[in-house]
Amino acid sequence: MTSKTPSEGEKPKKKNPLVSRKEFLQIAGATGAAAVATQLITSGPLSSDAIQGIGEQTHPESEGVAKHAWCMAIDLSKCIGCQYCVWACQATNDVPDNDMRWNVGFPERTESGTDFFMTRPCLHCEEAPCVKVCPVGATWIRKDGIVTMDYKRCIGCRYCEVACPYDVRRFNWEISLKENPYHPTWGTAEVERRSRGVVEKCTFCSHRIDRGLTQGLTPGIDREATPACVNICPVNARVFGDHNDPDSPLSIFIKNNETFRLREDFGTEPKVHYVRPEKEEI
Amino acid sequence: MASFDFSIPKESRERAWWIWVGVLGLFLAIGLFGAIRVFVKGLHVTGLSDQVPWGLWITQDLSSIATGAGAFTFSAIVYLFRIKKYQPIARAAVFVGFLGYTSAMLALAIDIGRPDRFWHPLVYWNVHSVLWEVTWCVILYSMVLVLEFLPIMFEGKFFDRWPQVRKYGALIHKASPVFAAIGLVLSLLHQSSLGATYGVLSGRAIWYKPSLPVMFILSAIAGGISMTLLLTILVGKLNRRKIISRELQNDISRLAGFALLAYLYLKLWDWAATSYYSQSPGATEAIALLQSTTPYTQTFWWLEIILGGVIPAIILLSPILRKNDRYTLLALGSIIMGVTVNRWNVTLSGLVAPPHWSPGVLGRILSAPYLPTWNEIIVSLGIIAYALLAFSFGVKYLPIFPKDEEAVH
Repeated sequence: MTSKTPSEGEKPKKKNPLVSRKEFLQIAGATGAAAVATQLITSGPLSSDAIQGIGEQTHPESEGVAKHAWCMAIDLSKCIGCQYCVWACQATNDVPDNDMRWNVGFPERTESGTDFFMTRPCLHCEEAPCVKVCPVGATWIRKDGIVTMDYKRCIGCRYCEVACPYDVRRFNWEISLKENPYHPTWGTAEVERRSRGVVEKCTFCSHRIDRGLTQGLTPGIDREATPACVNICPVNARVFGDHNDPDSPLSIFIKNNETFRLREDFGTEPKVHYVRPEKEEI
Repeated sequence: MASFDFSIPKESRERAWWIWVGVLGLFLAIGLFGAIRVFVKGLHVTGLSDQVPWGLWITQDLSSIATGAGAFTFSAIVYLFRIKKYQPIARAAVFVGFLGYTSAMLALAIDIGRPDRFWHPLVYWNVHSVLWEVTWCVILYSMVLVLEFLPIMFEGKFFDRWPQVRKYGALIHKASPVFAAIGLVLSLLHQSSLGATYGVLSGRAIWYKPSLPVMFILSAIAGGISMTLLLTILVGKLNRRKIISRELQNDISRLAGFALLAYLYLKLWDWAATSYYSQSPGATEAIALLQSTTPYTQTFWWLEIILGGVIPAIILLSPILRKNDRYTLLALGSIIMGVTVNRWNVTLSGLVAPPHWSPGVLGRILSAPYLPTWNEIIVSLGIIAYALLAFSFGVKYLPIFPKDEEAVH
């Protein structure tokens, strides 16, 4: 659009090639500069969004409510390995590709030989390595403890994947147009599918929590406000709730069970607590 | 150009030049095709995965930044510490540094998922991220390199028509000590931080150690000096003229040797303290996994330590051996190889042998394989071709190297 008027101006001068070239260069330069400037102002570093974001590490659009501390507990001795939690997550968060599961599950065996099924969502670490390393602050810990992401800010450098010791993060290696095989059996998409070139991760279904709280629901008790993986579990192996609330299902569960967290020696302070698979045998 | 003493007939020299340029151009074109393919199809055309998200291109980034470290080293030596005898190599160092950093940026632009958001680190700050600091330093330092390089460019024949521009160039050149100081600070920061990129990751035991940043800067100094000297000697040999005096070549060789020695000393203690005299469960586990699935031990000891460290250190620090240009070239090339292998080993060691987080034991034998695909390789070769092509044209048309008369005194 900007280029039209100047490029018409170069035609009549073509008889004199030298002048034309000089002028052409000037015009091309001006046009290029105008295009770059437009880009800078509309979506680039000079856009109002970007200027607002300078030096800013907060994300008012998704901060959570500070008085809550959302945590999960997974009872490995109860889990029957049906993988419903894996599929419900893929349906709800629209992850069609099995290689990109946010919530993974696989058969495992303890040192003493007990077979069990290991599942793992994002652990939403309090000292999350992924949050520390992100060069653009595209991932952060909300006031309610959930580690979340801004897919519009991520540059796709994948340093968070390198930093996370739990293999939680997933990168969109290609554009995902696949139909989700888990729809509608295991649920429907509740969040937008991510674009190519950004990292994504489990959110503890924060969209349900945020919406539920505004409706006066209690996450962990009211199904509409509880993560999909917790709801679907046929044996209640997953418990969710507010660690700050002593009466939440989670607080009660943790009080009544001996729990551990994955690789506590990393110092990451995960918010997912596990019950050992051999519990009943001991 | 005119001062070159061509002992081979001009015609065949001319032909050799065009063949060289043609071959590099071809590689550049193939690399460009590879880059376009990545942009069109996405990064799944690489061998990378969520378990090994960094590979060949990150190695190339780290290696080209490391071997571009001659720029800050010689700028500091010549313009800050005023050791004037190194002056004849300062321009070449800046030019090589400039090419190294631009190569790294090219590789990064293809490697990140959203290159259109390259400016995000400048606007969205996360001051707790090493990579954020690295990004800022690399961008600022690249500006310093451009400013250091502009006066050289303005001296080129092309700028004969604009004497005014050349005057500005001379003016910029007067500020060289300032650029040298800024460049020194920025380089000490980001060259080390690139090591810290891995060194700060507490969840990855094989990386988590404070020695990584220091080893990165020391190896970068050794690698940077080597790359600058290697190219200088090669250009001299190809053009059959003496670019730098034998005495200066000896001094620079020795400098590279000492930098290498410092690096080896730290590396020895890093290995002894973390793997020999002690063991941490995570790191020992990871190394055992690496040893059973990759040639990590061999490439570490043979390529990094023996070939890339001990042998070149002996050659460059021995007054007799370094008199031989062939040995010197071999030593310098080995150092560059060693630094590159080191960057590969550091990057891949932490990823291929991921930490074990499941409470079970079945997953303990899992390692994540990685082999670069042809698409990754052609892009990397294309970037190397870019650097060599730019270097060749720079040497041909710009006053990168001093004329014979200047070098002799």
